[in-house]
Amino acid sequence: MKKIEVRAQSNNTDGICVIIETDPAAAEDSSSDAFMQPLDGFSCTKDEALARIREAGIVGMGGAGFPAHVKLAPPPNKPIDLVIANGAECEPYLTIDEATLDEEGPTVVEGLAIVMRIVGVKKGVIAIEENKKGAVAGLNAAIASSGRGYDITVQLLKTKYPQGGEKMLITAITGKEVPSGGLPMDAGCVVQNVGTLKAIAEAFSEGKPLIERGLTVTGGACKTPKNILAPIGTVIGDLPAEVLDLDRDTLRKIVFGGPMMGVAVPHLNIPVQKNTSGVTFMTAAETVAKEEGPCIRCARCLRGCSCRLSPVLMNNALESGDLERAADIGLLDCIECGGCSYICPSNIQLVQRFRVGKQLLRAKRAAAQPKPAAPAKAQA
Amino acid sequence: MANTERRVLLSSSPHFSSPETAKRLMANVLIALAPAAAYGIALFGLPALLTIAVSVAAALASDAAFRLAIGQKPRVADLSAALTGVLLALVLPPSTPLWMTALGAVFAVVVAKEFFGGLGANVFNPALIGRAFLIMSFPAAITTWHKTVGFAGALTDATTTATPLNIIKLGGTMGDVAASVGSSDYASTLWTLFTGNRAGCIGESSILLILAGGAFLLIPRTIDWRAPLAMIATTFLASWGFGMDPVFGILSGGVVFGAVFMATDYVSAPVTPTGKLLFGAGAGLVTALIRKWGGYPEGVTYGILMMNAIAPFLNRIVQKKYGWLAPKKEAAK
Repeated sequence: MKKIEVRAQSNNTDGICVIIETDPAAAEDSSSDAFMQPLDGFSCTKDEALARIREAGIVGMGGAGFPAHVKLAPPPNKPIDLVIANGAECEPYLTIDEATLDEEGPTVVEGLAIVMRIVGVKKGVIAIEENKKGAVAGLNAAIASSGRGYDITVQLLKTKYPQGGEKMLITAITGKEVPSGGLPMDAGCVVQNVGTLKAIAEAFSEGKPLIERGLTVTGGACKTPKNILAPIGTVIGDLPAEVLDLDRDTLRKIVFGGPMMGVAVPHLNIPVQKNTSGVTFMTAAETVAKEEGPCIRCARCLRGCSCRLSPVLMNNALESGDLERAADIGLLDCIECGGCSYICPSNIQLVQRFRVGKQLLRAKRAAAQPKPAAPAKAQA
Repeated sequence: MANTERRVLLSSSPHFSSPETAKRLMANVLIALAPAAAYGIALFGLPALLTIAVSVAAALASDAAFRLAIGQKPRVADLSAALTGVLLALVLPPSTPLWMTALGAVFAVVVAKEFFGGLGANVFNPALIGRAFLIMSFPAAITTWHKTVGFAGALTDATTTATPLNIIKLGGTMGDVAASVGSSDYASTLWTLFTGNRAGCIGESSILLILAGGAFLLIPRTIDWRAPLAMIATTFLASWGFGMDPVFGILSGGVVFGAVFMATDYVSAPVTPTGKLLFGAGAGLVTALIRKWGGYPEGVTYGILMMNAIAPFLNRIVQKKYGWLAPKKEAAK
């Protein structure tokens, strides 16, 4: 360990980071105690298994970064009947889920089986999009040879954005909708990204904590688009040119994540984090910053909304300061997929406004919370 | 930081967007109107062409002049004023005096649109407001109709006639209508009405060409099918229910033009799917009511304008959102 300092993170906030020096020799040394002892995920107790996942520091690697062990321990009043391995690539440009399934299919299947055992579910689905049909045969072979006795199937889904969104995925597979304000467990599902499942399998078989992840480096300004395996904490700007070569003349936007939901960052001095599924380097042509025009009420945003909300009406309500009206239409149900902003012919930054609106609404509700009886008294 | 990228942009996601622009949507509507407009010019000649040209010129000029006067950048390039001009011209009789046409276009753009806040903020369809304004101000001129004289013909006192709807309104029969369009039997009368060789507004007569333009807009989903379909279906059913000939009702007046090009106006129609259906149905019902019991032979203009007024209420009928839950009963309280 070299030092601890405050550095920029991928969500554009500063955070305390620990700078460590790597020891290439230790990585080769099998007697090193860097890893935990392997653990049999099928004979240990469920608590031991959850503790292992927590100690390995595994979080949702699709983008949300939600701690995996919490997801895997739903309260007893929420029966789970299906575990979904999310290989449906939640963003255009990114291909890391596909690469993980191609190269680590058996590991993902193993991880899925461990998760199914922990949650106590007999049925599991590996969800991929139709344009990745090629992965099906390999996955079926991996399932056949896994021998864990769980009912795992591969399901092809229509290729569309945001198919990899948790809610959309659950609906595509089960036909059920996650109730408003609820979580996947309210629809009887646990969803884990395929990368997370791989990490879980390795935490048991090798005792390996989550110290590295696969991610996509791509975009028009990236001369070397590919999927890479990088230690967590690798600063993007430190990647050697044979791994990441950028066209600095055309680079106009650095996005942690994909182009629809990723976060634009100001420089390359930012580390790969556990939830960094890719870094997209966009050219001016790909990401034109257009001026907002007046809303012509064409209603295309209603078509673009993956949650059947009415973005234009939500925006009108927010513009007039009516937060509750916006909430009635579904402000808090917005998953910020960006479909409405993408389709808007007047380039209105709808999602950005909804993010602000959500914060205002939550702040307003929080302010109203501590003294629920007070307004009535004041009236009297 | 050493490797700060000086030229990178920071903004909220999403980081790319579809190439569709408001201007292109407007341009598509103009293209869709072109066949009906060209046919109108072929039927009525130079006066029709001049009406369209003057209407567009007046709309563009008043749009630019007004926005400059209030210290805003003119928006002529977005084509919305041009579209208003074309739409207004196509729902006027070909013999409308040009100064009236210009006045109507100025009223449509300045009063009906810019006074309300400009593009996107108007409550009523500007072109229909322009038409309604002209009907009320100059009832005689705006209800003077001419026989189809062809491009080279001249519109004179000798060529004036009544529209099919007028004939029926004044107590005429389908036989009188057949005579006016020069056909012999019922079926061929309807066919003539469908193809459009009849007296009427410049752009409303050819159902065939209007539907072709509508298909051009519907297939790429530039417009939504709900309002036009609901409007045409309701006019049909209501006409039938009120004891009028429903097929004639659809083919004779401005219902199809209004349904395809006016009820689908983005700004003045509701945005929600159910809202669009009710909007179209309401416009169709009012149209049939006016035709049956109103003072005018035609009711499309007021049908749509009335529904424009209640569009904000129709917008309250939103789609059931993803994961929608029935509101909990107040039992807990």
